[in-house]
Amino acid sequence: MRLPKFQYLEPATLAETIPLLMEHQGRSKVIAGGTDLLVALKQRLHTPAYLISLSNLAALKGIREEDGMVTIGPLTTLEGVSAAPLIREKLPGLAQAAWEVGSPLLRPMATIGGNLCLDNRCRFYNQSLFWRSARQPCCKAGGKVCHVTNKENACFSTYSGDVAPVLIALQAEIKLVGSQGERILPLEQFYTGDGRRPNLIGGGEAELLTEIRIPLSSHTGCMYKKYRLRDSIDFPVVGVAVALRLDQPQGICREAKIVITGVGSRPVEATQAGEKLTGREMRPEFILAASETAAAEIHPVRTDQVGPSFKRHLVRVMVAEIIRELGGVDR
Amino acid sequence: MKRIITLVVNGEQREVAVEPDLTLLEVLREDLGLTGTKKACNQGECGACTVLLDGKPVSSCLVLAVRAHGKAVVTVEGLAENGRLHPLQEAFVTYGAVQCGFCTPGVLLVAKALLDTNPHPTAQEIEQAIAGNICRCTGYVKIIEAITAVAQNQNI
Ligand SMILES: Cc1cc2nc3c(=O)[nH]c(=O)nc-3n(C[C@H](O)[C@H](O)[C@H](O)COP(=O)(O)OP(=O)(O)OC[C@H]3O[C@@H](n4cnc5c(N)ncnc54)[C@H](O)[C@@H]3O)c2cc1C
Ligand code: SF4
Ligand code: FES
Ligand code: FES
Repeated sequence: MRLPKFQYLEPATLAETIPLLMEHQGRSKVIAGGTDLLVALKQRLHTPAYLISLSNLAALKGIREEDGMVTIGPLTTLEGVSAAPLIREKLPGLAQAAWEVGSPLLRPMATIGGNLCLDNRCRFYNQSLFWRSARQPCCKAGGKVCHVTNKENACFSTYSGDVAPVLIALQAEIKLVGSQGERILPLEQFYTGDGRRPNLIGGGEAELLTEIRIPLSSHTGCMYKKYRLRDSIDFPVVGVAVALRLDQPQGICREAKIVITGVGSRPVEATQAGEKLTGREMRPEFILAASETAAAEIHPVRTDQVGPSFKRHLVRVMVAEIIRELGGVDR
Repeated sequence: MKRIITLVVNGEQREVAVEPDLTLLEVLREDLGLTGTKKACNQGECGACTVLLDGKPVSSCLVLAVRAHGKAVVTVEGLAENGRLHPLQEAFVTYGAVQCGFCTPGVLLVAKALLDTNPHPTAQEIEQAIAGNICRCTGYVKIIEAITAVAQNQNI
């Protein structure tokens, strides 16, 4: 499989990039690390006339701390995020999630911005043109019917990024910049839940993700765990991030955010499970109740090799494990 | 439209005219004749195409050649010096860590990058470093033994 033909544009600054995005809207794709996009191009899921490379935008790289907030440029590589002393010390859950993406041969190229913008995945969609040509195109590929559910005009492809759940649990915000100026929004609002166009800029909008901001005071502990078929390389079957705010170590939970990847068309927050924990002590019965609730409130669809009931089981086990570890509770 | 890129390949400066839709893997194999770097899955899944880009192991099937402009590339052809195999290559032969050899160039480069930055890795660090390189015939035991032997400076 070779790449399709395209023209390659390398703007030097953000100010040069936005007009290019507008000029070529609808027939261009932005490329950061390329580890997701180049596979999609080889599979002919997209055939853009232009690739607009962000690699020269030095201002979008790097990590810094300011006023109780950690700011990460979207072009920072996942290797850079997971190895940064600041992230390892203050946001170990984020370092863990970045380290769990793909394989060690991808993380030096893959960026955190590209990870947040990752397209949703499905076993009928992420395939070569040859493989897909055996059937009618599904909804996500521009056809009428979804091959997973047989429904018309609906796509249930799964959001499978590893980093977004942790960032949403940490109440991170992102900055988007386009021709209309810039806007700042909570990361969770970036995701639409529509499998065809899973985030606000995934439909080829002339906007860029330019900053990720994480408040340090929102939590007292945060952890990410991932279950995948091959531990060395695969996308998550299920990934669970939990951020807790306890009034004291092993004390009462003031806030709990549980966010799960691999179980829906967006990173899914288990809000009812979080509420079950809030105001409670870290005791096994409350933890069990929260994990049961999390498993009950998700609605996975069979878009990969793993069926919904096993995903529910994984969520139940993983949510309980993480909360026990964060809360210092023995099994 | 073709553009001229400059790469330092195995210590030697090379200029190549490339189309933007070529990957570094394709340019190495087809323009520079360095077929030691293997093309297998061609989509980032297997590690057969691993090269060192500015010292870091990456899957060259997912790197646009134009993105490698100005960078240093090490391929398996760059490991032997003055007709002598690299100690890692010697160890792979001695320990029987090669069967079909398709994964071997990639594993060797990952191992070199690991030992360059961490000369005495633990068994777990070796396992984690080669996690992106899939070997379907030798299996990992002999590969890990060979890398460990070099890390421990054993006489091979
Ligand atoms: C074998 C393999 C295994 C993988 N495993 C995992 C995994 O386990 N977990 C996981 O999360 N991912 C995985 N990935 C997917 C991918 O490698 C990562 O998500 C990576 O972080 C994507 O980043 P990138 O910079 O390479 O993105 P790119 O491929 O460059 O871009 C991805 C998308 O984001 C858009 N984009 C990138 N940056 C911006 C920006 N700043 N503003 C607006 N749009 C932008 C691009 O237009 C494109 O649509 C895997 C990929 C492969 C090939
Ligand atoms: S969920 Fe249905 S419409 Fe969406 S990608 Fe899969 S088969 Fe296509
Ligand atoms: S050929 Fe590049 S990773 Fe398999
Ligand atoms: S030696 Fe054959 S794949 Fe590793």
